[in-house]
Amino acid sequence: MSILTRATPRVRAVHRPLWRALLARPAAQVGSAFGLALVLAAVLGPLFLPDPDMPDYADQLAPPSAAHWLGTDQSGRDLLARTLAGARTSLGAAALVMALAAVIGLVVGTLAGAIGGVVDTVLTRLTDVLLGLPSLVLTLAVVGVLGPGYANLVLAMAVTSWAGIARLARAVARGARSRPDVLAARMAGVGPVRAVLRHVVPGVAVQVAVAATLGLGEAVLALGGLSFLGLGAQPPTAEWGTMLAAGRDTFAYAPWQLIGPGLGLVLAVAAATLVGDALRDVTEPT
Amino acid sequence: MLVLRRLGQALITLAGAGVLVFAMLAVTPGDPARRVLEARGVGEPSPPAIAAMRDELRLDDPLLARFGSWAADAARGNLGTSWRTGRPVSDEFAARLPATLRLTGAALALAVGTALVLGTTAALGAGRWPDVLARGIALAVLVVPSFVLGIVILDLVVVRAGLGRVIADGTWATVFLPALTLALGSVATWSRILRTSLLEAGSATHLRVSAARGAGPRRRLLVHQLPNAAAPFLTMVGLGTAALIGGAPIVESVFTWPGIGRYTVEAINARDMPVVVGFTLVAVLTYVVAGLIVDLVCAAIDPRLRS
Repeated sequence: MSILTRATPRVRAVHRPLWRALLARPAAQVGSAFGLALVLAAVLGPLFLPDPDMPDYADQLAPPSAAHWLGTDQSGRDLLARTLAGARTSLGAAALVMALAAVIGLVVGTLAGAIGGVVDTVLTRLTDVLLGLPSLVLTLAVVGVLGPGYANLVLAMAVTSWAGIARLARAVARGARSRPDVLAARMAGVGPVRAVLRHVVPGVAVQVAVAATLGLGEAVLALGGLSFLGLGAQPPTAEWGTMLAAGRDTFAYAPWQLIGPGLGLVLAVAAATLVGDALRDVTEPT
Repeated sequence: MLVLRRLGQALITLAGAGVLVFAMLAVTPGDPARRVLEARGVGEPSPPAIAAMRDELRLDDPLLARFGSWAADAARGNLGTSWRTGRPVSDEFAARLPATLRLTGAALALAVGTALVLGTTAALGAGRWPDVLARGIALAVLVVPSFVLGIVILDLVVVRAGLGRVIADGTWATVFLPALTLALGSVATWSRILRTSLLEAGSATHLRVSAARGAGPRRRLLVHQLPNAAAPFLTMVGLGTAALIGGAPIVESVFTWPGIGRYTVEAINARDMPVVVGFTLVAVLTYVVAGLIVDLVCAAIDPRLRS
């Protein structure tokens, strides 16, 4: 008992400085502030704003004003409301993509790392082939099979973006096989499956969660880009890529239509990049 | 030995991609024979005509035999028949490939040049204002998505100021803006890698000897650090060709560039799978070959990678 009570604070002591060191960096502060602001705006914003899909043909392409902070689009829809509804769509879809990719990567990587042998060889080969292919091109191909649409795009991105996470999970799981606490559990009579689930998976899951979070920026970017091409969200859904595509004919004389979706994409990518850079600096000091 | 092993890896990746892509082709719903006939102008194809076309496209063969003949055809450059136009996919690509090569070639040159300038500037003035400026530029182009930038350039700057031509025709005269848009995404990553590896190479002991013998920072950077930093940079550039190929459909669509990327986006919307699969194969092949060349070049110039 005394060993356990002494062990607990030491584990925390290992984790805390990483967060502190991370949040001490200006890049991480700015990045997480961007991310937090986006999430808050996406969650709370729509509560205070008009219906993002409600057209008002008396007020088309109105410049920014007190009534419409970001102006209106060619159907007279409030662009601030559409931008924040778009944040919900984009961030929600990106989170779904990365969550699916994380689960696939976690399962594949842990199986490969914990079982080893033939299973490891087969799964690692598969992962290597996927990692050896350009992921955006693969996503396009899968969308070609499934047909354009937002749900199909999310699915296509999830099945093409788990390989990097699987490689990470495999490395962590492999290292955990010979860790003293796992060996001790095995010797104490814990079965192999239970040992993996209770002692290996939690450690893998933390690493996978971090990697998946950092992938959010790229996911938002790809979702927006492919929706812009008409392969993802379909009008009238408020989504940043779709909004940019819809306004293209009128940008030259109504450029305010760019502000919302453009800024949203930039903030999302900046948040992931800044936090990711800071995390790399903290974990791999050069 | 290294050449053989690396070649084997590349072949495994290509084979894996082939299986993956053929599976996509096979599971796509709809009867390809009917689509091809309709595309060739047969309004309501009769059952015998469909049966004949199924026979011609070898759709009723066992799956493994279909894969075999498909792979053999693909290896000879025959990518099948478009379900939308009824014409050979290879012909459609051949007509559009020069435009795409022009765009990606120009983008590659622009990206490498800009990354070299930004990366060496940042490393030479590490910690001082040139570094901060170069890194700031890299971060700025990193966070602005290429299609947003393309829209801003085209729909605001070009249209409003009346500069250049709005409709790109795929020639060298109109390549600059799309190539710049395509290049900027890679510039950020490449210049950051270059800066890091230059600084890493700069911390080596022999550079202190070199400095003691009177070599200035500029000479040390160009003669000693740059060759040492070349391998990671080249690897990044090789991998980055994937980003250029993957980004081509988006940038080509923004600028209405008549290349295979935009053609593929149209094909996806029309569910024209042979074209989509053909694009995937071309992109994968380019990516794998680029990676292979870069790895071999790196091994040739850097003895440390040969062990």
